[in-house]
Amino acid sequence: MKWTMVIDLTTCVGCWACVMACKQEHFLPRDILWGRIAMTETGTFPKVTKQIVPLLCNHCQDAPCVKVCPTGATVVREDGIVYVNYDQCVGCRYCVIACPYQHRTFLASIKEYHTGHGFTEFEKIGRQLYPIQEGTVLKCNFCMERIDNGIRKGLKPGIDREATPACVIACPTRSRYFGDQDDPEAEVVKIIRERKGFQLHKELGTEPSVYYLYY
Amino acid sequence: MDIQQNPYEWMIKLTPQKEWIEGRGTLLLLAMFFGMGAGVYLVFSVFDNIFGMLVGLLIVNLLFGGLHLVYLGKPLRFWRMFLRPQTSWISRGLIFVTILNITGIVEMGMIYWLPGTGIQMVFKVISIILAVLVCIYTGFVMSYVRAIPFWNSALLPVLIVVHEILGGLGVVLMLSKINGFGLDIELIEHWSTMLLVVSAFLLAIYLWNATYSMRPGPQSVLVLLRGPKVFSLPFWIGVVLLGIILPLIVGWYSYYGGGVSSYLLFGGIVSELTGGLGLRYCILKSGFYAPLLPI
Repeated sequence: MKWTMVIDLTTCVGCWACVMACKQEHFLPRDILWGRIAMTETGTFPKVTKQIVPLLCNHCQDAPCVKVCPTGATVVREDGIVYVNYDQCVGCRYCVIACPYQHRTFLASIKEYHTGHGFTEFEKIGRQLYPIQEGTVLKCNFCMERIDNGIRKGLKPGIDREATPACVIACPTRSRYFGDQDDPEAEVVKIIRERKGFQLHKELGTEPSVYYLYY
Repeated sequence: MDIQQNPYEWMIKLTPQKEWIEGRGTLLLLAMFFGMGAGVYLVFSVFDNIFGMLVGLLIVNLLFGGLHLVYLGKPLRFWRMFLRPQTSWISRGLIFVTILNITGIVEMGMIYWLPGTGIQMVFKVISIILAVLVCIYTGFVMSYVRAIPFWNSALLPVLIVVHEILGGLGVVLMLSKINGFGLDIELIEHWSTMLLVVSAFLLAIYLWNATYSMRPGPQSVLVLLRGPKVFSLPFWIGVVLLGIILPLIVGWYSYYGGGVSSYLLFGGIVSELTGGLGLRYCILKSGFYAPLLPI
């Protein structure tokens, strides 16, 4: 089993719904984003194209962040999900440096959303449900809690909403697909094959689990 | 040069690494600089000087190790960093430092109680090897990062180790001038000048080699050589002028020109150490990630 995400760049409209859904799902503190949208223009006037590319941790199968971690806090699970064990992270930031996709963030301190007004109830509940720690490194975990809970209930990630990452189900244009790359019948496998899905910085040999469709 | 200036240009233009150079990252720059404590230990160990070896170990533990520790987000968990020597250079480095401390203390005891014996020689060789490993591992920590092509070079650890030994020789010269120690100062000056020439040669090859590396390795070299000023000024003034040219002139006159005054020699050493700091700054500052966009 290897969880894989496919992002269709031809249909993404850059609405940021995925970014917001991720922040809400994980109660992420201020200034911390696990998913991002990068936008740029290519070409010259009058033939200009706007590129909108949603970015997130690529959950590399040969992840540089896992190799460089001196404590073993960053782990690749058997299903391909790369996650950080906050109890083991010392905050050396070697993984932040080693990530070619720059999708790790060091959390120096948890800041209030409304400066000077204290933490809201939402933020307080968030810290209880997702006990992230100051002084550690954070990153996208492919909503592994949703996946694990879903599988426990007999649901299928990528098909059943309850077991699928928040960014995938929040996408209003259905630009994101999620599934098991080891399952030949999975939608992600067919899409990657038929539409020539590609990975970012493939030349680095990190074997990312996130594919993009451009055609 | 297309370098990220604004947040919205993140990973669209050349994105500089910031974690190890900006804000608290400055501590890491200083920690890397004080890696020359292992160089100090190494040089004094060659001369069997207990006081100097102790100074070297103190620099390694208090400044090199201490600054690393302060930089950590969770310093009390530092012991966990021993756990992954299979793959992580930070883990290996910590182990090298720990073993250097143990063998160093044993060697100092041997020099004091059993000088000139075979067992002392064995510990001397072991601790010298470990001092070299401590000097070299910061280079490997950086050269292992494939995401930053400028760092991803086999020459970087060699350049770093030469600079750490060079810094060590500088400190040894300084201490010897102050305290005497009965060391052969002329010999140390000669080594220092020779090593300075080697380091200049290595730096040139490293930069030349980086121009053939993956994008944005060549861009890192360009910013150092041509600017913006935040990159080129520390390189030309810090590394080239203060770190190579001035110490070479002082060293040359001191060794071949019949000697220089102590003040000038001190100035040359401070200049050389500043150059070493500048080199580390330049390497850390000009580490760029390849943009992810446009696709």
